[in-house]
Amino acid sequence: MSQTVTVREPASPGAWEPKVVAFLCNWCSYAGADLAGVSRIQYPPNVRIIRVPCSGRINPAFLLRALQNGADAVLVSGCHPGDCHYISGNLAARRKFALLKDLLQYAGIEPERVQFTWVSASEGGRFAAIVEKVVEQVRKLGPNRKLVKSP
Amino acid sequence: MIASHEIETRLREAAEGLLRDKKVDIFLGYEKASFPFRTSPLFLSAAEKARRLVWNPFCSANLAVYLPRLFKAPADARAAKVAPPPPTVGVVVKGCDARSVIALIQERQVPRDKLVLVGVACPGMMDARKAERALGDREALGAGEDAQGNLRAVVEDGTEVTLRREDILADACLECRSPTPSIHDVLLGAPVEARETDAARRRTAEFESKPADVRWARLQQALAKCIRCNACRQACPMCYCKDCLLDQTRPRWIGAGTDISDVTLYHLVRAFHMAGRCTECGACARACPMGIDARLLVRKLSLEVEDLFGYRAGAAVDAAPLLSAFSMDDPQEFLTEP
Repeated sequence: MSQTVTVREPASPGAWEPKVVAFLCNWCSYAGADLAGVSRIQYPPNVRIIRVPCSGRINPAFLLRALQNGADAVLVSGCHPGDCHYISGNLAARRKFALLKDLLQYAGIEPERVQFTWVSASEGGRFAAIVEKVVEQVRKLGPNRKLVKSP
Repeated sequence: MIASHEIETRLREAAEGLLRDKKVDIFLGYEKASFPFRTSPLFLSAAEKARRLVWNPFCSANLAVYLPRLFKAPADARAAKVAPPPPTVGVVVKGCDARSVIALIQERQVPRDKLVLVGVACPGMMDARKAERALGDREALGAGEDAQGNLRAVVEDGTEVTLRREDILADACLECRSPTPSIHDVLLGAPVEARETDAARRRTAEFESKPADVRWARLQQALAKCIRCNACRQACPMCYCKDCLLDQTRPRWIGAGTDISDVTLYHLVRAFHMAGRCTECGACARACPMGIDARLLVRKLSLEVEDLFGYRAGAAVDAAPLLSAFSMDDPQEFLTEP
């Protein structure tokens, strides 16, 4: 896990940088992100982490509100299927997420703006890799203009 | 096709019998409204008033919307002690309404043993607005049907205009795949075959074939008309939550105004709440005073639910509701690096 990641410097101060809001479950993904930190694995600092008890706790309205309030993308991560601390929270969530992603895509929102994944507490490297991938994709897409509420 | 007036006669007999024999306390049907292309819901409790019931191509309202509130659970144990026993309710159901009733039974909102379902094999309901549009400036004074089921409207100057049935059928009915109630205690009329089975899929594919930005623009254009009156929520039989997310103010999930971002959020959330629950009756679109196709997003979700999970809302009383169940093998291709 000794990969080196070059963290991009903003082109100029005040230039647009992707803002990704990540909803991580307390038991696996948050611990995974923590592990990435204590292992000193570098990953883009564009991600803002919100800790939730379980991926099953996530109401789709959380994600839509994040996008509405100016997030360029949201990332949701929970325990791998079968590993949920609450036995089946992530399985119940999986159905919802599958449908939500389809709905948003149908409405015309880029699928890269709403991403779901599983990261376990031991996968610090995987977490860093996924964040890097998501941020790269969002950077290519540019700022989120759909659904954002103008003040 | 059995003529509407024949069904109407049998419907009145059935309702009268049920009320007279005390098989039901309340009978829910339709009655004549003030305008020729409309009907009103009718709550009957006296057998002798059964002749107020009507059956015509404008009985489009989904009466299942009234059921959950008739069986509302008492607030607490104390209230339960003095609460009157739940009523037995007779209700007229078309194919789509029957699916709503099934979905409500699945979600434990209405008890099957307290319902007497009078099913009507439905040939499709007419859209009052389409009919009015077809008449243009002329106001209709009366309406009837000819032998082929076309609409005969009497207009202001006393002349009669025939409107072709196909031209004024409601959108939801053109897409209907279950015209005959799959659950019923009495069935009036012979079972009707579905018109075509992929109309909804075709409409969805048409929208989907556009690039994402065009889809978004079209959605924004359609939703710009929305005045946030919540009629689509009120009309929907599946929107029975006591504490609706829209009514909460701490936090206020969705801004109350007509800001396009809030409007879009509202419609996305409403559609999502219908995932695996919408029975495609079209009540939301019918209720919209601004003529928004309120089913645009929900239509897609219903198809997606079928494709991904092989589930259809309101198909079986004993099936677990889609989102309260799960399986280890659920599809997860949508994940980032699964």
